[in-house]
Order: sequence, then structure tokens, then C-alpha cells
Amino acid sequence: MQTDELLINMGPVHPSTHGVLRFKLRMDGEIIKDCQLVLGYLHRGTEKLGEMKTYQQVLPYTDRLDYISAFPNNYCYVKAIEELAGIEVPLRAEYIRVLVMELNRIVNHIVSIGSLLMDLGAATMIMWGFREREKALQLFEMLCGARMTFNYIKPGGVREDLPEGFIPKLNEFLEEMEMRIKDYEQLINSNEIFLMRMNGIGVISAKDAINHGLTGPTLRGSGVNHDLRKLEPYSIYHDLDFKACSRPEGDSYARYMVRIDEMWESLHILRQVVDTMPEAKVISTSKYGVAPMTGVPSTVSTYFPRIFTPPAGEVYTRIEAPKGELGFYIASDGSTKPYRVKIRSPSFCNLTALSGMVKGLKIPDLIAAFGTMDIVLGDVDR
Amino acid sequence: MNAAEELKKALPDAVTKIGMQCNKPEATVKKEDLLDAAAKAQELGFDQLSVITGVDYEDRVEVIYNLFSYENKHNLVLKVILDHDNPEVDSLTTLWKGADWLERETYDLVGIKFTGHPNLTRILLPEGWNGHPLRKDYDMETEQFVTIGEDGDDVVSTDGSNLLRRK
Repeated sequence: MQTDELLINMGPVHPSTHGVLRFKLRMDGEIIKDCQLVLGYLHRGTEKLGEMKTYQQVLPYTDRLDYISAFPNNYCYVKAIEELAGIEVPLRAEYIRVLVMELNRIVNHIVSIGSLLMDLGAATMIMWGFREREKALQLFEMLCGARMTFNYIKPGGVREDLPEGFIPKLNEFLEEMEMRIKDYEQLINSNEIFLMRMNGIGVISAKDAINHGLTGPTLRGSGVNHDLRKLEPYSIYHDLDFKACSRPEGDSYARYMVRIDEMWESLHILRQVVDTMPEAKVISTSKYGVAPMTGVPSTVSTYFPRIFTPPAGEVYTRIEAPKGELGFYIASDGSTKPYRVKIRSPSFCNLTALSGMVKGLKIPDLIAAFGTMDIVLGDVDR
Repeated sequence: MNAAEELKKALPDAVTKIGMQCNKPEATVKKEDLLDAAAKAQELGFDQLSVITGVDYEDRVEVIYNLFSYENKHNLVLKVILDHDNPEVDSLTTLWKGADWLERETYDLVGIKFTGHPNLTRILLPEGWNGHPLRKDYDMETEQFVTIGEDGDDVVSTDGSNLLRRK
């Protein structure tokens, strides 16, 4: 039977778009013929703002890109500056950075899985997930006073040393988390409805995934075992024992499982970091001279001048953020402000592949496949 | 021999300069030969196009392509230098599907035309927006307003008179 094509507008305000994203769907009955994405509803011009502020002033804006996991954003921008100017970072600060970033990875995956399940109509996981997330956020609050927009990692180190009582609280959290991830797996992994909604939905082959520029768990769900923490180890990752998790199937279930596996790996990394964390020592020297003797001497950061002018040049640096490869390109002309800041956001690049993945599926499958891409609109639109 | 030198050896005419982008080998390529150079790089194993960046230097516009080889774990940076007033370069969408949105974004914000791109429209800003914000000569004084048109698409205007206001 011949039916007319139907145009459906989904979004920008729709609970399953995780923010303000709009799909323009061309439907043949229930089948998606074509899916176009309309972005930009949350575009705040972060790159333009970056050109108008000094290097330190750009830092808080990076928190607001991927607001679910802001530490990796902070770190990547700071890493770009450090590479550009050749700033040394004390070892203890690197340990603290990896600690907060891995903690943030767990938080990100909890939110990702929780909202995926909620989109599919199961509300339990997001309640459970937010219960644990709250504990992690309290740890962040203890550390830097903020729960989501931290502005904690700064060029030359981190803002403050770990507060008293942080490590015991963290250990408590790690112990509880181990039990909780087991709970999640028991709840979700072999749930029949979940399996039916996930298996074989939104399949992308390894070759296509690389060609589309997918990164992170979305890429590793297609059987490509590429993780920047392994490929180009930064910070202290070369000293840590962990493995990059991947699944060969390339469907939604594989992407979900990669996230569960990564939470286990993050717990494993966090334990090692806690065990091998170096002692606090006062840092006194840096490339930019000794800090003026005002205020408290720092144990976790080298001196970073207030008026900071890096040498002219370009740098592109990237890290494995929870959502994929996050990159910052900075061009400096030797003045106090960056000449150009470019953000390569994982969510934006991963979303490129979505319209190809959902062709021929139904709308509920679009929601399932989209949920496993794990995007945040602040990161897509910048 | 680093990747940029290898590319220079393979295509001596196309590559005009070899340098470093911080710690990554960089090859400056003639703009007519970009597609050939990129295809050659893909042949050499550079299977990931990480990012496309456009930079406005007031006398010229540069487009920078960061490539990565998953197999050999090498980086390669391709750079083309374009005319400031009429920047135009070949699209790489035939080689990397991921280039699609990255090129649209560069067109949208920096105003570089990618010839051969299947759908070169604005992506972050609404269609009809005046100017390209990341150009250094972008007019920051004129206010632009976005309203919702008949079919749900955005309409851009420079006077705020058609904005909905509460009485």
C-alpha cells in the first residue's frame, strides 16, 4: 500500500533529547526514512568568548561545555596551555587530576545509563544512579566548593590540596560503588525488555565508526579498542594498570556494556591512585620564577603569573573524556589573550553518525540509539 | 622520518613547507592539492580526522586538519593557506564522512567555503545570520534577533520589533 510521507518535528524541547536538540524526521508510516538534526539552540559562542578573555578567564567557560563531567574539560584546556608554555606540574597535582577525572567518569556513566533507561521507560536506574552521583558530587563539593562547575584544575597544578578527611570518604564511596555497580548490572544487563530494545539497534561497523570520527565508548562499542589513555598516555596514565574496554557487536547494547565495564576500570584506577598518591611537599620553583611570598605556599601547584603571556605558536591537545575525544586547539600570538580557541567536542563529532544509524528504524529505536550515544547539548553547541 | 617528511617525499610538489605544530609534524599544502595530499595521508594509514580548525589571520585564512593514525599512533597536521576575502578549498567529505559537520561548522563560524560539500549550510547559527563570528572583522555592534517562523525554522532579523513581548 502506498502511503504519504510524513514530516515529524521532534524537539527542541523533548524529554529524550537530553537538552535542546531538534530532529526533523521524514517518516514512511512508522519507519524513519531520513533524519536531520538541527543544532545550535544552546550555542553560546564559547570560542568567540575565548578570544576576548585572558587565558585564566577562559577556564570557567570550559566547565560549562560538558556540564555532566566538567573536570576533563578543565584539564584539557589547562593541558593545552601547559604544552604551549612548557609549564611543569607537580606529581601530586597530576595524581589529584586523574583522581577527579576518573571520579567524574563514573558520574558521567551513571547519568548516561540512568537517562538511557529513563528514555526507555524504566525510572528505577536514574533514581539509583542519582543516589550515588550525589555522594560523588559531595566529594567534589568538599574538594572545591562546587558541585558541577568546578574551575578547580588550573595551569601549573590544581587549586587546592585534598581537604582533610577526603581520602577516607572516597574509600567509603569506592567500596559502596562496587556493590552498586553489581546492583545495576543485576537490574539491567539481562532484563528481557531492555535486551529487546537494545540488541541490533543502531548498528555501526568498525570501519564506518572510524570514518565518521566516532570516539570514546561509542567507538569502542564497535569493536575498535582505541582509548587515548592508552594510545597517547598523558598525565600519569602510563603508570597505571587498566585496560581499554570494547565490545565487538557495534549495537546499542555493546555501547551500554562498554560504559558499565569502564566504571569498573575507573574504580580500579581510583584505588591505585589512592594507594600510590605521593606525599604533600611545598613547591617552590617554576619556569616563571619563584612565587612572591604572599599567601600560603602551595603543595599542589607551581607558580603561575597573573599576567601570563605564552610564547607565540599553535597547539592541539586531546584527552579521553568520558564521552570521547575532547580536544583544544589554541593559537597564541604572544599576548595575554588566546588568538583562537577551537574546541573539538566529543558529543558534536559522535552525533555526526546518528542519522545514518537510525535509517529504517522506528522512532522508539531512534531514542534508544540516541541514548547510547551519550551526548550533552552544552558540549554539542558550545 | 616523520609523517610530514614522508608526505613531502610522496608528493614533492604539493607540500610547500614542513614544520611542527607544537610536538606534531605539520605539512603545509597548496590549496589545489589538498584533496590529493589528504588521500595520500589516508593511504599512509591516517584513518582518523580529529578536527578541522579555521583561523582568521587578517591577511590570510588558515585551515588546519589534525589527522591521527590508530595503527601507527602517529599524528599529522595538514595546513592550507587561503585568500582572506574569498577563502575556498576542496571538501574532504569524500574521504572522511566525519568531515561533513566539521566543515559545516568551519563554514558557519569562520566563513570558509568547502567546494564539493554535499550540504554546506550553517549548523550552529540559524540560517540567515549575518557574518561569520570567528572572523576578526565580525560586526559585534549590530544586534541580531532570532524568532520562530511559520514552519518552526528560525528567522533572523536585525530589528527587535517582531519579538514577542509580554504586555
